[in-house]
Amino acid sequence: MRISEQAKQDNRIRILEKAVDIFTTKGFDATTTRDIALAAGLATGTLFNYFPSKETLAMTMVTEAFRQGREDFQRRRTGDEDLAEELFLFIASGLRRLRPLRTFLGPVLERSLSPFPRKSVCQEGEAARQGHLNAVQGIIAGHGFAEAPDYVAMTMYWSLYLGILAFWANDTSPNQEETQALIDYATRMFVQIISGGGPGKGGADAE
Amino acid sequence: MLSEEFLEQELLKALPKDRNTDPAGQSLANLIAGISSKKVPVNSFFRVWILGSLQARVAFGYLAYWLRSRFSGAEVKRRLKSEAHLAAALQLFGTMGYLRGAVMKVGQMLANLPEVVPEEFAEVLSALHFEAPPMHYSLVREVFLDEFGREPEELFASFDQQAFAAASLGQVHRARLLSGEEVAVKIQYPGIARTIKNDLRTLRLLLQPLCLTKDWEDTIAKLADIERMLLLETDYTKEADHCRRARAVFSAEDRVVVPEIYNGLSSKRVLTSEYLPGCHINEYLQSSPDQAERDHFTTLLTIATYRLYYRLHWLPADPHPGNFIFMEDGRLGLIDFGCTLVLDEEEWRDSNAAIQAALDRDILALNQAIASACRFNHPDDMEPDHLEVIRQGFYWFMEPWQQEGLFDFGDKAFFLRGIENVIEAARKRYTRSVPMTIWSNRFTFGGRAFCYKLQGRCEFRNIFLRESAWREQDES
Repeated sequence: MRISEQAKQDNRIRILEKAVDIFTTKGFDATTTRDIALAAGLATGTLFNYFPSKETLAMTMVTEAFRQGREDFQRRRTGDEDLAEELFLFIASGLRRLRPLRTFLGPVLERSLSPFPRKSVCQEGEAARQGHLNAVQGIIAGHGFAEAPDYVAMTMYWSLYLGILAFWANDTSPNQEETQALIDYATRMFVQIISGGGPGKGGADAE
Repeated sequence: MLSEEFLEQELLKALPKDRNTDPAGQSLANLIAGISSKKVPVNSFFRVWILGSLQARVAFGYLAYWLRSRFSGAEVKRRLKSEAHLAAALQLFGTMGYLRGAVMKVGQMLANLPEVVPEEFAEVLSALHFEAPPMHYSLVREVFLDEFGREPEELFASFDQQAFAAASLGQVHRARLLSGEEVAVKIQYPGIARTIKNDLRTLRLLLQPLCLTKDWEDTIAKLADIERMLLLETDYTKEADHCRRARAVFSAEDRVVVPEIYNGLSSKRVLTSEYLPGCHINEYLQSSPDQAERDHFTTLLTIATYRLYYRLHWLPADPHPGNFIFMEDGRLGLIDFGCTLVLDEEEWRDSNAAIQAALDRDILALNQAIASACRFNHPDDMEPDHLEVIRQGFYWFMEPWQQEGLFDFGDKAFFLRGIENVIEAARKRYTRSVPMTIWSNRFTFGGRAFCYKLQGRCEFRNIFLRESAWREQDES
């Protein structure tokens, strides 16, 4: 039976909605594609027409949250921010959009965004990483760095960012406020390093 | 940038010397230089001083000297062992975020002790407070989204992106409400409670070399109380509640104002209150106010503190100069009730028993009150000199209460006597006391240092008699 584009869209949205609920209650690892299909009123085989795997499904949510976070960031930035502050705003806006997914996100991010060599690269994860790093390069360029920062700077940024995500996924403080303090410090430190302040001084006399 | 060699020479000159074991101060200088050249990862508390600066090393050296002097009578073997502990403990010092500045102030204070001059001491006492690192506006906005689900611009008609003052746990921004009122918005640095807990843990480790001394338990109890009070301060809803209660005990005739709190715009991490226009003490003194004006504000300050004491059983335990606003129309503004000690029944009873005994010149009752405050069962359990020194301190505290007419808080001899008593008690290590005394001392010395700086006078005894009448009303 052929179904309309509209019905396809509706199915897709329903699958994503149900998946959030089930991931949140059961956890990512304990959830099966069958659970999700059942909740969405579809056959398991049909679900694979929309999402080839549980990981892809979850990373689709993450990519969407990142996209919304970038929009929020564009809307919220005043243009008066210095580089550290602008990076802070960018990261914080993204995390705020990710927040509803936080409870089950740890294993998803670990599998899809891991910087280590893997047999199969998660395409959604790779797209999310590229999107994020492009935005960061744009922000850095906007603060007078003539060349796009090379792979060393961006690798360092990505490592810091993954560290922040990991800390955030485990952060039990109210509203993950300890993560906010960490982002504040991490962004200042990153800017200091790419500005040539250097880690040798220990960063104690930055600014 | 000063050279290392120059720093070493200067350090050697500046450090205290131990006549018997370290006449050149060399061993202490080596210890300090060895530790302060090691790098420690800084946390987000950026603005704090660098451990390598000479000033920091000297303050640090006095702290080390002070700690080490605790072992001056010990045998050599134990001394060496304690020295190793000391070095290890001092290394932790650099990892402190929130309290490091305060601990360094203590070091500076120790460095000033031998030839202390009252002006400097007052300066140090009144400056003894904490500051969180500055927040950029984007961080402030995140706090707002978490606390209210809205951005500051959505909640206020206008909101200054730059803070106008630092607060003990964050910073203060000026803003205007949608209804037009000017307000001050205090915002807390995220995650500060954890930093405070970490710092206190570090401080306990830092002081570990003292664990064999007789007053270790006393020190631990006091640190626990400091932690309790600091963590209490991290909940602005408690401070809002204190503000409301304080505001209710002053009328327009009192000329003392506590700002109104705006509930809808306040939470655990954000406190929005009425903005009180005026200036702080330094700026006020620059305008060369005459004696009558200075007396006026000293009177208001005295009324304010004793109203809070007798009506609410409170000690405003953070008499930081920034918490008092000299308003142009002659009113005194009281802001920041974060560090308010609410006396429990027992503390209230003991505190008044001591005051009453001094007023009645009932020496037996006073001795008993002092023994209890120093955690002894009976005055006979105290060394006679210990009892005497503490009693002298209390007499000093009570002087204004017993003098008819104007009392001059600007009297240098009076202020100096109080400081000398504190120094004597510290030198003789008569520091054992119930934790409450940390706050009552801070209250007393902070307040008196402030009035000394103000060079103000007031009819203290009359104010006391009037304000303490509340107590009799309450109790009847």
